Amino acid sequence: MDFQLNDDQSALVSAMRAILLDHQDIPQSQKLDYCYFHSALQDVLQESGFLNAAREVDPLAAALLVAEAAKIPPVVEVGASALIAPALMPDEVPEGPIAYVDGARLDKPHRNLAVAKTAFVNLGEDVAVVSIDEGDVERVETIYAYPFGKFVRKPDLTRSVIASAGATATQWARVALAAEFAGAAQAAIDFTVDYVKQRTVFGRPVGSFQAVQHRLVQCSRLAKGAYYLAMKAAWSKAPEDAMVAACYVQSEVQKLMYDLHQFNGAMGVTTEHLLHFWTYRLRALQSETGGAHGAALDIADSRWGAAGDNGRREC
Amino acid sequence: MEFGWPKEHVDYRRRVREAINELLPPDWEETYVRESYASDLQIDFSREFCAALAERGLLTPHWPAEYGGSESEDWQHFILGEEMKAAGEPRGPQYMNVNWIGPALMKYGNDEQREQHLRGIASGKVIWCQGFSEPGAGTDLAALRTKAVRAGDKYIINGSKIWTSYARKADWCFLLARTGEGRKEISVFLLPMNTPGISVSSYPGLPKYGHLNEVYFTDVETPVSGLLGEEGAGWDIVIHALSYERVGVPRYHTGLHALDMAVAALKKEGRFDDPIIRSRAGMIAAQFEGAKLMTYSVVDQRVKKLPPNTDANLSRVAALEAVNELMNFIVEFLPDCLAGGHLLLDDYYRVNVPAGVTGGANEVQLDLVAQRGLGLPRMS
Ligand SMILES: Cc1cc2nc3c(=O)[nH]c(=O)nc-3n(C[C@H](O)[C@H](O)[C@H](O)COP(=O)(O)OP(=O)(O)OC[C@H]3O[C@@H](n4cnc5c(N)ncnc54)[C@H](O)[C@@H]3O)c2cc1C
Repeated sequence: MDFQLNDDQSALVSAMRAILLDHQDIPQSQKLDYCYFHSALQDVLQESGFLNAAREVDPLAAALLVAEAAKIPPVVEVGASALIAPALMPDEVPEGPIAYVDGARLDKPHRNLAVAKTAFVNLGEDVAVVSIDEGDVERVETIYAYPFGKFVRKPDLTRSVIASAGATATQWARVALAAEFAGAAQAAIDFTVDYVKQRTVFGRPVGSFQAVQHRLVQCSRLAKGAYYLAMKAAWSKAPEDAMVAACYVQSEVQKLMYDLHQFNGAMGVTTEHLLHFWTYRLRALQSETGGAHGAALDIADSRWGAAGDNGRREC
Repeated sequence: MEFGWPKEHVDYRRRVREAINELLPPDWEETYVRESYASDLQIDFSREFCAALAERGLLTPHWPAEYGGSESEDWQHFILGEEMKAAGEPRGPQYMNVNWIGPALMKYGNDEQREQHLRGIASGKVIWCQGFSEPGAGTDLAALRTKAVRAGDKYIINGSKIWTSYARKADWCFLLARTGEGRKEISVFLLPMNTPGISVSSYPGLPKYGHLNEVYFTDVETPVSGLLGEEGAGWDIVIHALSYERVGVPRYHTGLHALDMAVAALKKEGRFDDPIIRSRAGMIAAQFEGAKLMTYSVVDQRVKKLPPNTDANLSRVAALEAVNELMNFIVEFLPDCLAGGHLLLDDYYRVNVPAGVTGGANEVQLDLVAQRGLGLPRMS
């Protein structure tokens, strides 16, 4: 076991950071929006091969990149392209950005669908790979910090189907959302820690109050746990680890949301304050792949056998 | 970064498990759960058990060879701790000996003290207790008032200690006493518990018997040779000694084990098909898994000899959250466990009643992480 990045991983993360640093600003005209999708950065990531890390290195390398990308205020689609696609289509690179779509809620808005060129529609058993053309989806107004969209006409779910890939898609969607959560949560915490250090009330920094300190430590516990669990799930490629990572992060969103917004005061509810670019990513991730409850039930099945099954499965 | 166990660690864990299986008597669980690891019975048993562990090289494997160890790395020491805790800590109080009392003696003891004590500890037959807390000094340990006054070639000690686990059966006390008026003018004494003037009384408590003792010192005389390190060096010694305990008890390991027991009990009652119960159990498992990785990251830092930081405190906070959830789960869905229905879960619950207090109150862990980890300003 080794919790430090090795030389290759460090080099990869540093290279990613350098690119992100160049693209972390939001244009003045879009500063007050709920979400800023950075299409130029998306192109850079796509062309530079970063999104191919799982194929060329391993899924852990890809998960590290997903977490990094989630730390800047602009949003790019990395999770589905870098983690789900390689698991579903190891020998092919589908056109990105990619949206992960729940087939049971096909008519509902989905994260990243407004900008996606490809959708993976999880039908439970199988996965349909849908190419998205102009006019197939419409953008949906939302407080979530991703470009949400929905299909305006029912996509063809029969043309390109990956048989029996539903569980794999769920697994990697969980890894991707946990990695994305880890990065966005850490960035939101760092942002808030900086804020409470400089904002003073009653003549002292907000961050000097124990009630604030202790809750911020709890927030950082969640982010740290999320990071390791996400990375372990990417490393082990085990569905159980993916369930655990998703369950852990999704069950804790509420605590983070409340405390981080609370400590930013009224500034935290303005869109010019940046906080929402991370926190409303967390909110968007909260219910995906069945949410905390769905993941927890899967953990129970995997650790202790399916309901009605009194035997204990090895895991 | 990678999360696998190398073969040598897997083999080591197997070796520890085999030793535990072979050395524990068939009625161990039954006896253990009735009595707790701090009970007189278990403390006596620990002298046999640890001696046998020592013979197998499994008592002080991480110690330097010159003191009877095999200089194994922290991972192995940690695996050993996990397996012992999961088995109900058959080492009794001797986990303290090997984890921090021995290492503190190696660092601060003189030749005579090392010669006198380390062999005994490594033999698995000597019981120590930790005399730090007092009625007026717990979290604020530097407020302690037990006094040691130098008189020629000895010290005379007066005062009292409280919550001194294992004191009733201990051979030695690792005692903190004030040797000056300044807040941190504190010294460590290695004091035989059979010295005249020492008396111990015990209290019953929620975490079973053996932990809650009070130790009184009335004109207790100890030779100057009983002083560990310099006079007044006690504070530094304690801070250093307890840094060996930074990672603390592997609560995720016992927690996941207890969660499995709770699920088995629910299955037996035919209640584990309830999706609400299943979901709650799954969430608790996820919390323990998170705490586990955070703890392992600290062990990894230690193996690599990286400078200490507050990750250990954070991992304790994480484990405590999960423990609290599990205690709640047990009572909510298996209430009779605490009324004779399940001795092992009753024991788990009771051992963990003070989990947020022992080894440093949780609020202090949170303060440390906030101020040293996140760099938040101290309240002036
Ligand atoms: C089962 C058990 C075994 C023990 N074994 C030993 C032993 O062998 N040897 C030994 O020396 N001691 C032992 N202890 C004592 C233990 O170390 C102390 O209980 C602990 O240090 C806390 O001290 P206290 O109980 O006096 O709590 P106090 O110091 O009175 O604190 C009470 C509570 O106040 C709050 N608090 C304290 N400080 C702060 C702060 N800065 N900010 C916010 N809140 C705060 C915390 O919630 C804390 O729990 C044991 C205790 C227990 C319960």
